[in-house]
Amino acid sequence: MPDTAVYYHLAYTIALGIYAAYALSLHLRRKQLRVKS
Amino acid sequence: MKISWLPAVAGAAVIGTVIRAAYFTPLEAKQGAAQKIFYIHVPAAWVAFLAFFLVAVASGIYLWLRDQRLDRFAESSAEVGVVFTTVVLVTGPLWAKPIWGTYWAWWDVRLVSTLFLWFIYVSYIVLRGAVESPTLRARYSAILGILGAFLIPFIHLSVYLFATMHPMPILGKPSAPSLPNEMLVTLLLSLASFTLLYFTFVQSRYDYAVERDAIAARSGHDA
Repeated sequence: MPDTAVYYHLAYTIALGIYAAYALSLHLRRKQLRVKS
Repeated sequence: MKISWLPAVAGAAVIGTVIRAAYFTPLEAKQGAAQKIFYIHVPAAWVAFLAFFLVAVASGIYLWLRDQRLDRFAESSAEVGVVFTTVVLVTGPLWAKPIWGTYWAWWDVRLVSTLFLWFIYVSYIVLRGAVESPTLRARYSAILGILGAFLIPFIHLSVYLFATMHPMPILGKPSAPSLPNEMLVTLLLSLASFTLLYFTFVQSRYDYAVERDAIAARSGHDA
């Protein structure tokens, strides 16, 4: 069986990182709106 | 502190899916750990297709009813769809490198048409930012949102229509799924949990659009 773990770890880290970054961006955008209003 | 049930359930489901994929799903004999990328790549592709399909549906109904809520939903779903397509375009090459020996193949119709889909909905977001009039913005983006979704069946069928390195569908095919039970359960759980994550993101993005439009209406100019 080939050792492909590095690609697996990298894919999960980046994918979950993208989702987390988007969730954070939504939170910050809404917070910024509340400050504006 | 109020915790809405949808983000909490979606977050728990995604964490549970990742734990199941990592520790409770067997390794595939030929591909090793890289095969597990499948549990994050396939749901992202499914959600991206769902997101853009719903953009087209909401946009079509918007052009008929001119209800601003549909435009806000389309706007939200398109942005979330771009996020999920980005995940597809990152995780796919990371699986391809150890299995195919290359990250990307420009001649491969499935890969390039998926990239094209991403560009179309990125341009949808750019278009929304470029048009000042809310009515024109909604109308132009509804048309682009509908046209972009025509790529979805083409991308799905591209593996049958063209010579491509991309694997054939596991679930979305006429015959029964060709996957051992333990892997199939993990895949179905991941499809469900990332679909929940999609609805969480869209709900939050929609709420943001409502607040933004309310502020714009109070201050007397467009958002």
